[in-house]
Amino acid sequence: MSSFIDIFKEQITTADSAVFERKWPSWLAGVFLAVIALLIFLWNVPWGIAGGYRNWGDWILYYLIPGQNRPEITPWLHSLSVTNFGLFAGAMASAMMSRQFKIRPAPPIEYIKGIIGGILMGAGAALAGGCNVGGFYTAVGIFSMGGYTMMIGLGIGAFIGLKLLLWEMEYLPQKTKAVKVPASDKKSFDWTLIQRIFGAFIFIAGIAAFYIYASVGKTQIGGLMFFGLLIGLVMHRSRFCFVRAFREPFMTGDSEMVRAVALSLIIYGCGSAVIKWTYIQPPDMGVFHPFWFGSLIGGLIFGIGMLLAGGCASSTLWRSGEGHTKLVTTLITFAVTNSASQSLLNATGLKEMLGKGQFMPDIISWQFTMPLFILILMSWIMLADWNEKTEKLVIF
Amino acid sequence: MDINEIKSDEILDVKGLSCPMPLLKTKKKLKSMKPGLILEVLGTDPGSKNDIPGFCKKGGNELMAMADDAEGFTRYFIKKG
Repeated sequence: MSSFIDIFKEQITTADSAVFERKWPSWLAGVFLAVIALLIFLWNVPWGIAGGYRNWGDWILYYLIPGQNRPEITPWLHSLSVTNFGLFAGAMASAMMSRQFKIRPAPPIEYIKGIIGGILMGAGAALAGGCNVGGFYTAVGIFSMGGYTMMIGLGIGAFIGLKLLLWEMEYLPQKTKAVKVPASDKKSFDWTLIQRIFGAFIFIAGIAAFYIYASVGKTQIGGLMFFGLLIGLVMHRSRFCFVRAFREPFMTGDSEMVRAVALSLIIYGCGSAVIKWTYIQPPDMGVFHPFWFGSLIGGLIFGIGMLLAGGCASSTLWRSGEGHTKLVTTLITFAVTNSASQSLLNATGLKEMLGKGQFMPDIISWQFTMPLFILILMSWIMLADWNEKTEKLVIF
Repeated sequence: MDINEIKSDEILDVKGLSCPMPLLKTKKKLKSMKPGLILEVLGTDPGSKNDIPGFCKKGGNELMAMADDAEGFTRYFIKKG
């Protein structure tokens, strides 16, 4: 009997080290994300993040500025907001299980960059009709033309943003030594074990939340919490970062994240074609990204913002879950600015001028959409690989 | 290799900074150094543990050693290639 228990213990240790010690490969995370995103699409609506931020921003502004209309949906019943809660909790639980959770202070200038980055991303996401997830990843994957223009905008924005970071290193005083790193915990007290138990508790609480939602007839919302939890785990363990896909080609030439995002998109797009072409979900579902002006200019502004903040909509969430205080400030300014910009766009009628959602199969038919979709993504990978070898686009 | 035996020529402190600043500063610092010299980077961002080795491998610099310090940060020793 003891040998059985020994083997079981060994299996647990091996699994634990595979999941919570070794970094997951980016491409594998890309595959997981595509599958989870497709499940979210089938379960409820195409996945997005900024919509949830906007809901939070609506509520923050409602309490800050008197005399406003009460937002219609509470954060715990708003589908994208609940997915975000799940993502945040999943990342935090994962960070704790991986012994990587720590409140991480940053030098003052980083907070300023975080706040400005959040403002730019909030405004950019409002113009583009979504963030790097809803406006780019999901948009491309569900064949909304705005996704491609936002992709171009993100690339240009990342280029400009990197230039700004280089300028900062050159001309602004660098005082990183001012930050006091909290000394490691006293050896007499094993904090990491407590942290791991707490992480496991968050995972269990997240799953329990699904059952609670289901018990009050909100199974669909509860499921989103669960999917968010999974995304948080996948993103944290792989350190999945959309910013890298747009920044690294100019910074180090590394093409790993481009390949991961493109591969993920190919899987997601093929799956969503099955879902849409067969009318499991309406073909034009989620196709509202303002093509082409809004998504291009929004992507550009968002791109600059994500470079300054060091995180996009998704990595701001999971990095906040890991304890980066800079990105918590980004999250708040992102939410508030996004809410305010959306209201402004709606009130002034500017929204109509940005463009409207265009469904690719409506324009060029499904038969041409699929090969073109795959061709564009393959070209992106080939361009990034060529650049990795030649470093032609690396500006630093 | 025992990290206490490595004698670094330059020290770059990026404690408290998060991605991409640690890598950006490391790359900039390495550019200003002569080949063969050793740069010691002190950082706290968990992402650097993948970024810095990956960058060294690709960029032709040698990561001699990396180790967690008892004070809560990680030390990286990079020989400029």
